[in-house]
Amino acid sequence: MEFEVQENQANNSIQGIINLQPQVNQVNQVQVQQQEIQIKQTDIQVSSTLEESVAVTLLRDLRQIGIKLRCVLVPTMSTDNARELRNWDLWGPLVFCLMLALTLSLSGNNDDGPGIFATIFVLIWVGSFVVTLNAQLLGGKVSFFQSVCVLGYCVFPINLGALFTLFFQFFYLKMFLVIGCFLWSTYSAVGFMKLLIPEQKRILALYPVILFYLFLSWFALIV
Amino acid sequence: MEIGVQKQTDEEKQAQPEQFNKLDDSGDKKQTGYCGFLTVEYYTPYFNVTETDVIQRIKATFLPFRPDFLNITKENPDLWGPIWINATLIFMITAIANLRQVDSEKENQSFEVGYVPQATALLYIIAFGTPVILAIVMKILGVDLSFFQTICLYGYSMSTLLPITILCYFQNEMFLWMIIAYGVGNSILFLIFNLKEELDKLQIQKKYIIIGIVVTMQLSLYLFYKLVFFSYVSEGKIELSSAAQEESQPGN
Repeated sequence: MEFEVQENQANNSIQGIINLQPQVNQVNQVQVQQQEIQIKQTDIQVSSTLEESVAVTLLRDLRQIGIKLRCVLVPTMSTDNARELRNWDLWGPLVFCLMLALTLSLSGNNDDGPGIFATIFVLIWVGSFVVTLNAQLLGGKVSFFQSVCVLGYCVFPINLGALFTLFFQFFYLKMFLVIGCFLWSTYSAVGFMKLLIPEQKRILALYPVILFYLFLSWFALIV
Repeated sequence: MEIGVQKQTDEEKQAQPEQFNKLDDSGDKKQTGYCGFLTVEYYTPYFNVTETDVIQRIKATFLPFRPDFLNITKENPDLWGPIWINATLIFMITAIANLRQVDSEKENQSFEVGYVPQATALLYIIAFGTPVILAIVMKILGVDLSFFQTICLYGYSMSTLLPITILCYFQNEMFLWMIIAYGVGNSILFLIFNLKEELDKLQIQKKYIIIGIVVTMQLSLYLFYKLVFFSYVSEGKIELSSAAQEESQPGN
């Protein structure tokens, strides 16, 4: 086996060629296989993500969350958005879920903080799981974690709604804000899921998404 | 020497496809054997409905004297209805029960949120546990209904609770008991009329066993429903606080 590596100083990349040659060559019928595999690594060097400081790692993850958030919440559905959403991650949903559960359980209005935290947490994760499973069972070609990721990111407007209701006391204003946030979340999530479900079962797959965000908005309004 | 090696390689090539076949067989056996019900593909045939089908089935539950339901769903039982009708019911119970607690005199009112786990447990255990038990009993007694058909039947019978929950918003105790009674009657009639065709093939005692199970479970569901979620009427703050203490105790 030969391994040739050329280090390209110009754009900080490594290019190489691997030749694979099996050692057996005494029989004429055995074919000599020679494969050339090109390696191109044009990004940061491999060992450096272990050596960087924690702040750099966290900032990078936060920037990724921010980019995906912008893709999900400004529902334009361009191909860039779709490609970005294929790199799913579950940090974003976890952050928003925890923020929502903390906001609602720490607001002064209720007498069962831990219960509310647990209810919201379980509701978001089990709800995303069940809604995604429902879409898959109806024949949609939706990847499981990608769908959970999008549903989790679309919880962000309800987060904003819950934060607003902490500060305002007037009930009709709260209701108006929460309804607005609910419509925003639902429109984003539906815009994503709509494309992956066959035509005649569309409402059957979208109704659970609407119910999910309705439930969360109700909690944001009431608690 | 050369011929010997060639034969060996040919045999090896023949051996390899057999190995692959063995792998395929064992893989297939694993998938359709005992753990088949854990895969997604096992349940996909039961979601083969469209919106018009679902609406038609829900409408059929409100007209119990025309037993069309089982005829419609015999070939195509679906699981979408039972799951999402119960989820809608959980949301409506939470919303309506909280709205009933609204007391316009209190400034910062705290709403009871413990309904969600209680309602989830109650509805899903009854909606899925009862038909499984009923299907087992019916199979022992000789009726020919599969598990999924019974689950479908029971799940759709829960849709009678949808308008009842909305009407439970009103504060009048007498009115609540009346609509609960209507709900019990409607769902029991729906279930019995739809099972009638299957039950007529049995002897009298076996028929009454099944009818007895159905009636008991529906009665207990509706009683539970009324007493746990909609039991108090906010006429005064004393009743509200005592009922709230009552509710929080089983939660603790």
